[in-house]
Amino acid sequence: MTTNNAQLVFLQVFLEEVAEVLQSVETALLALEKNQFEDESLNAVFRAMHTIKGAAAAFGYTPVVNFTHRVETLMDAVRSGQMVLTPALIKTLFECCDHIAHMIEVITDDDALLNTDLQHTGEILLARLYSASPIPTNDQNAIQPLIESPPIYTRYLDLLALPVHEQVDCFGDLLVSIGALTPAELAQAVQTQRNSLATRTTDCAISTQQLGEIRVEPSSVKANVLENTMKTQENVRAKRQEETRVIRVDAQRLGHLIDLVGELVTSSAAIRVMVKRAGIDNMTEVVDGVDYLVSEIRDNALQLRMVAIGESLSRFRRVVRDVSQELGKSIELIITGGETELDKTVVEKITDPLTHLIRNAVDHGIEMPAIRQAAGKLTTGTIHLNAYHDSGHIVIEINDDGAGLDAALIRAKAELKGLIKPEDVLTHEEILRLIFAPGLSTKDQATNLSGRGVGMDVVRRNIEALRGTVELESQFGIGTKITIILPLTLAIIEGFLVGAGRDQYVIPLSQVAECVEMNVNETRKHRGEHYINLRGEVLPFIRLTDLFENADSTRTANQRESLVVVRFGHHKMGLVVDTLLGELQTVIKPLGKLFERLRGVAGATILGTGDIALILDVAELATISHSNVVIKNSS
Amino acid sequence: MGQLVASKPTSQMVHGEVSDEVTQYLTFSVADERLAMSINAVKEIIETPQVTRVPMTPDYIRGVINLRGSVVPVIDLGARLGRGSLVLTKRSCIVLVEVQVGDDSHVLGMLVDEVKNILDIPPEDVKLPPEFGSEIRTDFIEAMGRVDDVFVIILSVDHVLSVQELAALRHFTEDTTLSNSSE
Repeated sequence: MTTNNAQLVFLQVFLEEVAEVLQSVETALLALEKNQFEDESLNAVFRAMHTIKGAAAAFGYTPVVNFTHRVETLMDAVRSGQMVLTPALIKTLFECCDHIAHMIEVITDDDALLNTDLQHTGEILLARLYSASPIPTNDQNAIQPLIESPPIYTRYLDLLALPVHEQVDCFGDLLVSIGALTPAELAQAVQTQRNSLATRTTDCAISTQQLGEIRVEPSSVKANVLENTMKTQENVRAKRQEETRVIRVDAQRLGHLIDLVGELVTSSAAIRVMVKRAGIDNMTEVVDGVDYLVSEIRDNALQLRMVAIGESLSRFRRVVRDVSQELGKSIELIITGGETELDKTVVEKITDPLTHLIRNAVDHGIEMPAIRQAAGKLTTGTIHLNAYHDSGHIVIEINDDGAGLDAALIRAKAELKGLIKPEDVLTHEEILRLIFAPGLSTKDQATNLSGRGVGMDVVRRNIEALRGTVELESQFGIGTKITIILPLTLAIIEGFLVGAGRDQYVIPLSQVAECVEMNVNETRKHRGEHYINLRGEVLPFIRLTDLFENADSTRTANQRESLVVVRFGHHKMGLVVDTLLGELQTVIKPLGKLFERLRGVAGATILGTGDIALILDVAELATISHSNVVIKNSS
Repeated sequence: MGQLVASKPTSQMVHGEVSDEVTQYLTFSVADERLAMSINAVKEIIETPQVTRVPMTPDYIRGVINLRGSVVPVIDLGARLGRGSLVLTKRSCIVLVEVQVGDDSHVLGMLVDEVKNILDIPPEDVKLPPEFGSEIRTDFIEAMGRVDDVFVIILSVDHVLSVQELAALRHFTEDTTLSNSSE
């Protein structure tokens, strides 16, 4: 096959499709582990293998075709009750999945595909698959690197079930290869087909149908066989049509669209400002209409990039299954909130840290069944993955009912490493947080603490790179709960504009709980930090002009200030500002590389007036303010 | 000159190519000093618009501006060269420069007191920078250019606007207060 651009595009689609299909195989296998007679899952595995085989055949990836074909044949035997699905067989099928993924990975490299190691692995897997099985003999001797010919009739059906239009050419070739036609007959048929079709239609179904009909005339293919194949084709096409309700779009194009929508939001805000300034009353209605439409477009455009987190969470079932089997533990993974949506880019970046945390929970959190029993717990441990939205953020919780963290042990170890001094007074939470310190993550297999710390600093850094936070709760002997809070990092958010000193700032509206008038009489200062009595509740607050050192000198001391109460995670805080300027839609513009180490500012936005306002990161502001106070206190 | 061309056409050609690319310099003044930089890096020169201050940044970061819908950082060249923050006047300008950071290019603005003109400085009048004796950090100086028997400092844009260095933001430097008082 020649390599050209069109093929590369198809290849990309192929790779994505295979990855998706393999994912569905894993899900089905996991279900089969629970109930080996579940027809739907059996069919799913069978279909998946078939799909991969078909797609691979279209590209001429013979090793993949051979391998998947054998797996498919086996699944067919299982489906028809010729074979029993044993746990060992399921395990091998999991490995087959991995093997296919591996073959697909190296698919673009022709040499690697023919790599004998890879082929060897495949053959070993196949041998294991077939070792326990009373599979028809004509299949058993077919371990050959070419497209072999197990029941010709099924092969024929398989071929026709491939609805990819590139397949049209292959169709004929394959009819020849399975012996239904001779090359001469094929040439004749193709010629007839060409003559009858002035222009070659892209619809493969029509053209293949034509080919089929033409074949009937010389009657070298049995009519009833054709009828069956037609039916299969119809079914597959119906399925295809269902699938096309989902359209794959290049992420870059989507990004561009969202950028443009962002510009539109800014322009629409500018028009509003202009119209207001010019005092054209009868324009207001039109502007309102445009505003409404723009906000609808914005919401829809952003929705395009949102994906449910469930798919990426359910891949952890495999992780939990593999690791727990390896360790001889019995663990159940419960996933809730899979429908929670967030930006695709965030989903991709959160997978690694999550995998690490879940491995930790399986490896070091959940105890061996015997120990659990002795501790009076259920022998099966539970890991609960939960996701939900909370004030503009997504929260992901990993909850296990395992051994928990031993605070005393962590402390001892941290002292040993010199992270803390023996005389330091630390709260329970502060001690637990020590596991995020890089120094503590060195391996020491002697304690059950080990591993819990391994890479935890990396996890924390990954999450902080997404401007998220990670919180930790644990009780020794009862369990551990890790909470990850991430921003949705959308390109556009609802903002609340405030003025402080000479500048204007945007606070994400989702984090604003309420705005009240600042009452200086209700404030207290304790160890450098400010607190206010808000209806009987003690609320820490920051005066933005103090933090940013940008107080407006023209401002008189007795001018009124406002207190904006903001929420982040489980915390609440007050921000004291000079003026409240109202809600607005803000397009987040990144500040760029120059400011990547600047904390407290999430980005910038261009206001309708053309001025720039900075978007505040409330949680970081709290941290900065706190650390300033600590520095001041210590000096 | 004509004779030179006639006698050594090849060397003249090479010379000509080089002079086209290298010998044009933009000159501007910062804190009453005349400075130059290669014209190649300059993208555009604009009047100073409203600059939005970014809190908790060193004084050499003047803030950000809205350049046709993009947010562009502005470096105060006076502060960057150790001459104190510049005071805005009618003649203040922002020179927009494109700098490479890894594979990406970034646009940065450089606030200067006044843009003078574009000069042709022939390569023979471009000398190595002095190793000491300048008030400006030596790595900021790419070369010295002789213009009318006076030497003008030619800035090394890569060093003056090194994003890696500029991004090493120190919070609450003593300079921050200085920049506030001067505005």
